[in-house]
Amino acid sequence: MAGDKMWKKAVNLLTFREIKKREGFILYGVDDRTENKKEATETATDQRKRIHKKKPEKSHSNSNKKPNGINKESKNDQDITVNKNTTGNKEENNGLKNLLVDRDLAVNKANLEKIYSLPKNKDIVIREFMIFSDSSTKAFVLFIDGICDRKTINENVLKPLMLLTGRSKEVHNANIIEYIKERIIYGNQVDIHNTYEDVIEKVNYGGTAVFVDKCSACLVVETKGWDRRPIGRPETEQVIRGPHEAFNETLRSNTALLRKAIRNENMITEMFKIGVRNRTDIAVMYLEGLVNPSLVEEVKRRINSIDTDYVGESGILEQFIEDHPFMAVPQVLVTERPDRAASFILDGKVVIIIDGSPNALIVPTTFFALMHTPEDYYLRAPYANFVRLLRVTAIFIAIMTPGLYVAVTTFHQEMIPTDLILAISAARETVPFPTIVEVFMMEFAFEMIREAGVRVPGVIGNTIGIVGALILGQAAVSAGIVSPILIIVVAVTGLASFAIPNYSISFAFRGVRFIFTALAATFGFFGITAGLYILLTMMTSMKSFGVPLLSPIGPRTKAGPDIVLRGPLWSMEERPDFLDTLDRKRQPKISRGWVKPLMGKFAESGDKPEQDS
Amino acid sequence: MINLNRTVKLGYSEAAALVMLMMGAKAYLGYPRMMAQFGATAGWLIVLAGGVISLGLWLGIAALLSRFPGKSLMDINVSVLGQYAGLVVNVLLFLYIMATTSLLLRLFSEAVILTALPEVPISAVNLLYLIPVFFAVHLGLEAISRSAYISVPFILVGTLAVVLAMYPYWDAKQLLPLLGSGLWPLLKNSLLNISAFSEVVALAILVPFFSFDAKITKKVGVFCIAFVTVSLVIITVVYLMVFPMPGALENLAPFYQMSRTIYLGRFFQRLESVFILFWTFTAFLRLSAGVMISAVVLQRTLKIPYYRPLLPALAVLMYSLALTPADLLQAVEVDNILRHDYGWVVTFFIPLVIWIIALWRKKGNAHAQENRQG
Repeated sequence: MAGDKMWKKAVNLLTFREIKKREGFILYGVDDRTENKKEATETATDQRKRIHKKKPEKSHSNSNKKPNGINKESKNDQDITVNKNTTGNKEENNGLKNLLVDRDLAVNKANLEKIYSLPKNKDIVIREFMIFSDSSTKAFVLFIDGICDRKTINENVLKPLMLLTGRSKEVHNANIIEYIKERIIYGNQVDIHNTYEDVIEKVNYGGTAVFVDKCSACLVVETKGWDRRPIGRPETEQVIRGPHEAFNETLRSNTALLRKAIRNENMITEMFKIGVRNRTDIAVMYLEGLVNPSLVEEVKRRINSIDTDYVGESGILEQFIEDHPFMAVPQVLVTERPDRAASFILDGKVVIIIDGSPNALIVPTTFFALMHTPEDYYLRAPYANFVRLLRVTAIFIAIMTPGLYVAVTTFHQEMIPTDLILAISAARETVPFPTIVEVFMMEFAFEMIREAGVRVPGVIGNTIGIVGALILGQAAVSAGIVSPILIIVVAVTGLASFAIPNYSISFAFRGVRFIFTALAATFGFFGITAGLYILLTMMTSMKSFGVPLLSPIGPRTKAGPDIVLRGPLWSMEERPDFLDTLDRKRQPKISRGWVKPLMGKFAESGDKPEQDS
Repeated sequence: MINLNRTVKLGYSEAAALVMLMMGAKAYLGYPRMMAQFGATAGWLIVLAGGVISLGLWLGIAALLSRFPGKSLMDINVSVLGQYAGLVVNVLLFLYIMATTSLLLRLFSEAVILTALPEVPISAVNLLYLIPVFFAVHLGLEAISRSAYISVPFILVGTLAVVLAMYPYWDAKQLLPLLGSGLWPLLKNSLLNISAFSEVVALAILVPFFSFDAKITKKVGVFCIAFVTVSLVIITVVYLMVFPMPGALENLAPFYQMSRTIYLGRFFQRLESVFILFWTFTAFLRLSAGVMISAVVLQRTLKIPYYRPLLPALAVLMYSLALTPADLLQAVEVDNILRHDYGWVVTFFIPLVIWIIALWRKKGNAHAQENRQG
């Protein structure tokens, strides 16, 4: 059986068979979309049917309360327990979904106790009290201790309900909830819900539910308030020039940071929930009227198609929505800087923020965007270009230096000037290993220092540096295990890999470096070329949400002067062609109004120079 | 540009880069030596004349293409000649491309052995050429053509660097006598030398993948031929200037010899290894393009939906064909005969004959261009 599978895999790899399912994920407008729709409508109708089925049962239980009420509870009980056991199953989930808030406060309380496994569950609080100082209507509030702001609950929910209310005569029982919402509770976000599903979802996310006797609906007051990290400085994308704000783990703070940066009513924040067991909030932000609608559609399609238990971090989401999961180069740009995310939104890209992650995902991205830093635009063009050239050199050094060293010392000694080759061979005189073993040993040691540096507890962090630099470098050389020139090679390579601004892509190049070294050890420069060729073709065939990764040069499309080097900001008149934005123009031909008078001809005639070409 | 469909479309830049590399790659093999052999000191004139004649012939092929907008050469063959004769011509085209690509694989492998890895067996080098080529062709025409477009500037810079670094050895007197071994051999070899530009027919084969019309295809072809002619003339001229005539016939890898001769002070010498990066990269691209195009021709000829199932077979075929010549000299000889002496028959002569037949039998739409514009 296993052999059969392997054979099938091999045949698939060698030949080409279109795997409908996989392609469907990548392609736009294929069948799975209609299937989804069908599914959605089916569940909706199912729900309705079920609700209708339950309704007569409910009225029945209300009319003759005692014996049937108990029966009904037990029935609900069954529903809930089934639901708890197999929450992943959509069918069963409907059991909880379709439960309606009961008119009887006791039934509601019993249901909630079942749902939240009270009294086993210790941080769920149900506080019972009387509302309306002149009468004795029973009520209780439900909230989760720790994720709600106590002060808000006390001041804005309990206090007005218990102290400040006098019920006017004309309010009918059925309208109590409306009345409370409109007249009594201060909370700025108050909603009325009548299904447990809605109520529980809000309560799980810091809301406070107010259940009132003889009301078949309940109020949910927004009282979120947990201990959160304040907005801090960026950890991995530091700049000297530019803002020092970073996203944090709270979704609302992050969307607010972007709102603050882009003061435009066309900026849309669409919210989705993914994950069956943990409904994680995801915000998709873009600028309507600018972004290509089919891009937004595709982003939403990919996010909504995810069917999994739990998506807890942007890194997990990234792996669920990227085009080529097995390629080395990332296809989603990750940033922790609101200013960077904002500038991408204004370019016509889509930003995805997930609750609990201090990183925003930006799609589509290109290889060149991955190589830029926000500071490139804050610095003057000449400095920015200098830094960018440095970075390009760093990439080549990071990928190829160990390989080149191995190739030159193993196969192409003739190209080294005589003095240098004498120095190298003298230094290698005492080393018992072939170059490739030496290189792999040191590169591996370097990677280990790096990994240890990340994982090591802060207190002993300094030790790692000393151990790494001193023991591995100095001692290895004096013990005659590696040659001193190799230490320089490894150090330069390591330094260069730190100069790559994107964390993911620096990972990619670190891995690729080992492959290049192995190729160089077997075939010299020819091997390195083979590796480079595979890397290039691989990258030219990759796409990020429909945009080729190497655009705008592979394929060549129209783009402003901002690819490897960048021109002055005023010369970037158009947004990149590959984004296919609804509005191509970023600024007119003459964006610096003050240079107009210098253009003698126009100044004399007093005409405005032509703004568009 | 957001393109969520998987239809393969090439822009004119990519197409031009691909064809330029296909034509120009021979400069890294024995081409300058061959020119010295055929034209002696006037070898560069053969290149020039061959380029000019090819330009004229390409205009004929372009006229054929504009009669059948959006159709590849293979489809045109079938619709002009009928099913069976068309099939024969298409199979001939496939065999020619396959055989020449295999020969190139052999020659490039021999060049690697000659210049960098003298002790590696030819089969191993062949294999290391084939694996990335197979990978690239599996990824498709887009990947190859985009890689070509990205690489062209680097390859040009590398070539130009060698040519300029030879400056201390330039000696214009070596180009005399201007007409080499005489007018008649020059003319004859110029006519044969159109084979050097025969790769331009790749444009006619790839028509269905182009995002532009026949008019631009014509321009792309003209540009490619002109650009490659100039480049090859420069390389040949420099080669003839640096290596005096009898010696010029002896270099198996002229470009390698040139890069080896570089001496710019004590530090910048023996740089041939650096230039291995440039020409082996070109070789990878040239071979991938060759395999890709033979796969496309075969796919269209056999009328099958995908080309990828053909790749393992093509790879094995190429590998064994490349290893068939007994030694390097035989490979060079076969290459001379197949590509230089008779290459033009398949790539220029047959399409032009088909053009004439199409004109005669009034096939295709004579006013396709005008209609589209109108």
